[in-house]
Amino acid sequence: MTRLSRLSIYGLLILIVLVWLIPLYTMATTSFKTPREVAEGAYLALPRNLNLENYQEAFSVLQGGLVNSSIVAILATLVCILVGSWAGFFLALLKFRYSNAVFMITSIATFLPYQIVLFPLTQFIVSIGLMRTHAGMIVAYTILNTPMAALITATFFQKVPPELQEAAALDGCGPVTFYWRILLPVARLGILSAAILIFTMIWNEFLIALSFTLGTPAQMATPALANLKGSDAVQWQLLMAGSLLTSLPPLAIFIFLGRYYVAGLMAGATKGGA
Amino acid sequence: MRYTRAHIFLFLSPLLLIVLFMYGMIAWTGYASMTNWVGMAPSWHFNGVDNYIKLLGMGRFWDALKNNVLWLVVFIPPTAILGLVLAYILDVAGWAERIFRPVLLYPMALSFVVTGNLWAWMYDAKGVFNMSLTGLGLKPQLWIASPDQVLYCIIAAAIWQYTGFAMILYVAAIREIPVEIFEAAKVDGANLTQLFYNIVVPNVGQATMIVIAMLTLFSLKIFDLVWVMTFGGPGTSSEVLPFFMYVASYRQGFVGLGSAISMVILLLAILVVIPYSLWFMKRAAE
Repeated sequence: MTRLSRLSIYGLLILIVLVWLIPLYTMATTSFKTPREVAEGAYLALPRNLNLENYQEAFSVLQGGLVNSSIVAILATLVCILVGSWAGFFLALLKFRYSNAVFMITSIATFLPYQIVLFPLTQFIVSIGLMRTHAGMIVAYTILNTPMAALITATFFQKVPPELQEAAALDGCGPVTFYWRILLPVARLGILSAAILIFTMIWNEFLIALSFTLGTPAQMATPALANLKGSDAVQWQLLMAGSLLTSLPPLAIFIFLGRYYVAGLMAGATKGGA
Repeated sequence: MRYTRAHIFLFLSPLLLIVLFMYGMIAWTGYASMTNWVGMAPSWHFNGVDNYIKLLGMGRFWDALKNNVLWLVVFIPPTAILGLVLAYILDVAGWAERIFRPVLLYPMALSFVVTGNLWAWMYDAKGVFNMSLTGLGLKPQLWIASPDQVLYCIIAAAIWQYTGFAMILYVAAIREIPVEIFEAAKVDGANLTQLFYNIVVPNVGQATMIVIAMLTLFSLKIFDLVWVMTFGGPGTSSEVLPFFMYVASYRQGFVGLGSAISMVILLLAILVVIPYSLWFMKRAAE
């Protein structure tokens, strides 16, 4: 490859990367600006001081939501992964006559837009008396995300060497013991990938969180953040500080566990591919 | 490993219960779409296809449907093409991939609410776009405040968020192309552009199918970005079906009508989901 073509490729790449970083950069810089600095314009300028007032104000509005989202997302993820991988194991490794049919209906349930069940789900959560509670949110997210958890974990379980299963069977190990004692520890990185993907999806979810918790003590972080925008003149510095606070958990996952996040994302889209 | 019928039941019943419950809820939506259900209290009469007829007569429904179709047309090709080109560049760039990949992918980890906020700020009168235009001596634009531009502005935010997703799927697909094919072409003197058109593009068909299916489903689901950036406005110019559904059933209480909109979304999604799931199953069976 010629030096010129290599240079032009790097040039193009760097240009795109800079464009891709502008929103992140302005989220961070605007969040430290004073209302006056924002009013002055200079969109790309650095803040004059590291002024933390926006964070204090945004945090006081969002803290309840951040706590609620943490509780709900962590617990719902645990339940989804437990129930999903329990079935995912059977579908991936033990296969029976209707395995493919179960895969098929699970896949359809995973990929259909969940908006279409919003109202029956509301009715269901109301009827079991859990509307506007953490438990209700956990039940709703478990119903919506367990099929996806089953598909993703099944993908990772398929990569477990078959010898392991054979050896375990020779030692008289049954399916339940195999799942708990051998499969979960062996496939822990796959489980981690599935878990962080589902955690991120629940943390970032908006429609259910909005419909079930807006303006209640159980309010989740995303509707609280959307509410921060208000309908009058937008306080951009405040909104950017709030956006950054709300993005911290998924961004931290992305930065520190990026490999597993990507693995989960790929498995979710291609199941078995890649 | 030996297992009994009891094991099948033990392992699969929790998942099946949830999956069948999902189908039950879809059936419920289908039933509710044929009633005059209004408000949260369940008091209703069966009214057949009245809601659908009403829907077909509503300009607002056709506008939302048209916007959803525009989403498919305007959002998917640039995202897929940009993703493919970037994947190829990263593949060629070698070591630099480790630095650039996360930067192109991080938007995927953000909530649409955050993306909506970030882009609304960029489209603001004082935002980066108007600042650049005035800097170049051009006329500032209204962006999301203009009924003619708003849809494309929201789609641009979605392209920003999803290009990295298309890219990683394509990176994996390019890696699966045997190295020998590339080597042989290089020996024949093919340059980077020729390699891209003659080898990469014809060999990533499967990844393209996944990308198109996933982006289509995303386009049919789009709600959060519209809510946060414009609330469907100006007027109703950026409304899409899920947004209209939410407003009709939650804000205005017309559950029957909202359910009919849901069924339209379902119909559109099924056209993608069923072939895609069948294809999945075939691959799993191989």
